[in-house]
Amino acid sequence: MDVRFKRDGAALIAMIEGEIDHHSSRILKERIDSKFIMEPVKDMIMDLSRVTFMDSAGIGLIMGRMKKVSSVGGKMSIRNPRPEIMKMLKMSNIESLIKLDA
Amino acid sequence: MQPVNRMKTEFLSKSANESFARVVAASFVAQADPSIDILADIRTAVSEAVTNSVIHGYEEKEGVITMECILYQDHVEIIIEDFGKGIPDIEQARTPLFTTRPDLERSGMGFTVMETFMDSLEVESTPGKGTKIRMTKQLVSR
Repeated sequence: MDVRFKRDGAALIAMIEGEIDHHSSRILKERIDSKFIMEPVKDMIMDLSRVTFMDSAGIGLIMGRMKKVSSVGGKMSIRNPRPEIMKMLKMSNIESLIKLDA
Repeated sequence: MQPVNRMKTEFLSKSANESFARVVAASFVAQADPSIDILADIRTAVSEAVTNSVIHGYEEKEGVITMECILYQDHVEIIIEDFGKGIPDIEQARTPLFTTRPDLERSGMGFTVMETFMDSLEVESTPGKGTKIRMTKQLVSR
């Protein structure tokens, strides 16, 4: 598991790589939150194109970041999820809350 | 029904073993040559069950989790057991979005995921003794 960052205007792009479960989400959460505070951004784009596995801990991770981003008036979106994690995203109904660019 | 194959493994309730358990379960079931989607569903359900034992069963303290996979001609049965604190109210625990640990950003979707991704789910739990999860999945051959 790894996460790399890019900035696009007012948006922080977090490119997550590997597997998101309870174990890895704790580290991801810390790294994403500290970067979000450090950078002059208010929006967040989570790029999931390199995520090969995600269980419900990933839903917790996304919802938690969405709350943080909303609290500073920013927008959160998800980009490029692979088909294997779409089932999890769909069942969590996350699409009704967060913009999803497939 | 006669099992085709069976395995049982035991590991510590460390969060690093969440990925170990799902990889082992998927490798074992792979011998039945199920579809990629079925294997992905099994990996996800195993991950949820083991995570529940780590976080709730043992409250992130050290304990033992066992996982048994029994392969039949057309389905697999997976039994994941811990000897931790147990679930006082199983119906409540199975309610979508219910979580006792919002502080950990738990979504409360664990049991819902297991129910959705597998064909059956049984939960047996005794407070103070532990929790046993029994799940089955049809393995439709290609």
